[in-house]
Amino acid sequence: MHALEMRDVSFKYKGSKQLALEKVSLEVEKGEFVTLLGCNGSGKSTVCLLANGLIPHALPGELSGEVRIFGEEVRQKSVAEFSTKVGIVFQEPESQLFCMSVEEEVAFGPENLAVPREEIKNRVEWALDLVGMKGYNDRSPFSLSGGQKQRVAIAAALSMRPEMLVLDEPAYALDPVGRMELYSVLKELKEKYGMTVVLAERDAEEAAGFSDRIVLMDDGKVIEAGPPRLVLRDPGRLRGIGVVPPQVSEVAALMNSRLKVSRFSFLTVDDAERAIVQELSSKGRPGAR
Amino acid sequence: MVMFIDLYTEANTFLHRLDPRVKIFAVLLLSVLAFLMTNLYSLLLLLSFIFLLLFLSRAKWSKTYFALKFVLRLMLLIVVLWPFFDRTGTPILLDFGPVQITEPAIWRGVTSALRVGCLASVWYILMFTTSQRDLVLALVRFGLRFDYGLTIAVSLRFFPTFVSTIDSITDAQKARGLVFAQGGLLERSKKYVAVLVPAVVSALRMADSLSLALQSRAYGARFDRTYLRQLKMQAKDYVALVVVVTLLVLPMIAKYVYSVPI
Amino acid sequence: MIPSREAASTVERLVSVQNLKFTYEGGIEALRGVSLNIDRGEYIAIVGGNGSGKTTLAKNFNGLLRPTSGTVTVKGRPTAQMGVAELARIIGYAFQNPDHQLFCSTVEEEIRFGPLNLGYSENEIGTKVERAIDAMNLGHVRMSAPLSLRLGERRRVSIASVVAMDPEVFILDEPTTGLDAEESRELMERLNSLNNDGKTIILITHDMKLVAEHAKRVVVMARGRMLLDSDPRGAFSDLDLIRQSNLEPPAVTLLSHRLSDYGIPQDIISPEELVLHVMRFGGGS
Repeated sequence: MHALEMRDVSFKYKGSKQLALEKVSLEVEKGEFVTLLGCNGSGKSTVCLLANGLIPHALPGELSGEVRIFGEEVRQKSVAEFSTKVGIVFQEPESQLFCMSVEEEVAFGPENLAVPREEIKNRVEWALDLVGMKGYNDRSPFSLSGGQKQRVAIAAALSMRPEMLVLDEPAYALDPVGRMELYSVLKELKEKYGMTVVLAERDAEEAAGFSDRIVLMDDGKVIEAGPPRLVLRDPGRLRGIGVVPPQVSEVAALMNSRLKVSRFSFLTVDDAERAIVQELSSKGRPGAR
Repeated sequence: MVMFIDLYTEANTFLHRLDPRVKIFAVLLLSVLAFLMTNLYSLLLLLSFIFLLLFLSRAKWSKTYFALKFVLRLMLLIVVLWPFFDRTGTPILLDFGPVQITEPAIWRGVTSALRVGCLASVWYILMFTTSQRDLVLALVRFGLRFDYGLTIAVSLRFFPTFVSTIDSITDAQKARGLVFAQGGLLERSKKYVAVLVPAVVSALRMADSLSLALQSRAYGARFDRTYLRQLKMQAKDYVALVVVVTLLVLPMIAKYVYSVPI
Repeated sequence: MIPSREAASTVERLVSVQNLKFTYEGGIEALRGVSLNIDRGEYIAIVGGNGSGKTTLAKNFNGLLRPTSGTVTVKGRPTAQMGVAELARIIGYAFQNPDHQLFCSTVEEEIRFGPLNLGYSENEIGTKVERAIDAMNLGHVRMSAPLSLRLGERRRVSIASVVAMDPEVFILDEPTTGLDAEESRELMERLNSLNNDGKTIILITHDMKLVAEHAKRVVVMARGRMLLDSDPRGAFSDLDLIRQSNLEPPAVTLLSHRLSDYGIPQDIISPEELVLHVMRFGGGS
């Protein structure tokens, strides 16, 4: 059973003239970290909203094709029922935190599910600890920085003990520090907890390094899906569909074109450093073989 | 902007630690008492009692003054204007055409002003010593439906955010040359459209996002939802409750059963 | 002697900040003594993380905020003596969130709003609006409702409404947030073109890649102070400084630091430069 399975899915928001998704097929395995890469209007947000049932239950429209979340068809169960399997974090920190304190926010989900009080207390502590916000229980959301707010939003989703976490451009409104904090939490979620994660992004810079797979989307369609090294090999093509490629991949592409080879492929600064050091120290002059 | 809603200041006083339900109940009783008392000296006594509570709450006088400035002005206004509308009683101090100022009327004016002062101060103490969170929790414990409690809580939570959005919008329009303080009433109202439209759009957008977030966290999934935070009445709360009831009910019995002129 | 005097008089000092301190109501010290000068035609990026004071600084330029102490003079006059509307003629400010200013029924009306407020004649307004629509490539949506447009277009409308006011200085707060690669590139091109026409551009941002690609001068802010005021290369060669300011250097700059042992200079700000140097290694020192 896949965590998320979409077969030939097309969707048009109510009142819209364009298809938000056009015959999209994709799978997310349990434990995988998948990044949906695309610009505004590429359909990545729509996929996120389908992943927990908000489409079609809260956001009506014309949906065709099959969407299975942990085996259950999205049209058969309610958002509330899916909420125990899938947690979601939206891009705007301010409008997804509505309680008067961090603790209440993180407890809200399990409270709604009538989880016993002791268990809720444990989950709140566990979730806050995981996102690095331990001790912030009594703080009001208004007093937090953007990065802290998003981490609380993640904790609020995690306290429902989902098996999959979906994040729609969570770093959108954040400054560099906030982004770093957020991505380190995501990395830990993947490495320590093996959680299934679906991340929608427009900038491949950070996610390239720790995604298992990248799904490239443009104009409501899936352009390509596969391991990062494969999908992100052509920065020009990424830019062409509105996605920001990792800067080091541009370096790799330039080196490939200068030396008329195709062996360079960098996803992270570490990648690039290793490869270039090897080139420079072992050969003396790049390209000399 | 000093907002009435934002008066809560964290501190470790006896009043802060009291169960919010006891506090709300006490404030309601005190308010009723303020209305029922007609004797000037009783009201002064009540006011002094309230000031004692204010002292116990460790509120800074400067902050209290700032918050209650408006009330003080209102009290003064009442004292000054009352005798012009209430002309009964003797002795008459001033008789000048339509104006007839009597001594009892002046005292009645002062009494009414004191009443307003008592009410305002006692509610101020409640707001100062009780967090919004506790207030809403208490209301829900009293029987308010959770949905309504959540509505109040969410509105309170978003109030500062909304104020900050309006500030941001006002700044943006000022930077486009809009001067609010100019022009006649009609012109000025038209200028506020430039703030109102983006504000309303922003509020609607936020409401939309909020609704998705609420649904994603299973809001409304079950009627029997759990509540993490509980209000437990402790010994000190019961004691306070008994004291409050005694202090407040006794004068009322005295007044209505034994006709003591309070 | 005459040539140098002429040279001095052709560069006009537009904004002068002397030991600016600003504290918000409630006690937050947002600016702790900042001094800098901005001349006509400059292209500056004021960078820093959240809370660094960069936005507070910019709002002191156009009078939205007035100094708690210190002075800010615009074209020789202290801002404390000028109204925001008056300053709006000289200094235009495009806010980060375009939705906080759009309220008209058509894009054209929205763009007219600024010059209308500044009291220009109908003829002048017409010309300025046309020029702004042209500069921001909004001809095809001029009769559309601004709120119905995509974020990229809404941003351009918001900037166009500032262009129409014909200021001498443009302050743009995070202009590329939320834009995709192509929209971002197009926007920056138009800003460059404005700069080429003699307009002074001030970018407020925490995107170091953007700064590396476009700015000619970088002012780094952190915790209310100015840590550095130099050209981009100077800013990027000091990684510690950048980190201290809650910023992230572009990946290529980071890489160039890691490769310093191989003779790669540490102030590299573009992939092309890096590859150039890597290729040269071994051929020269």
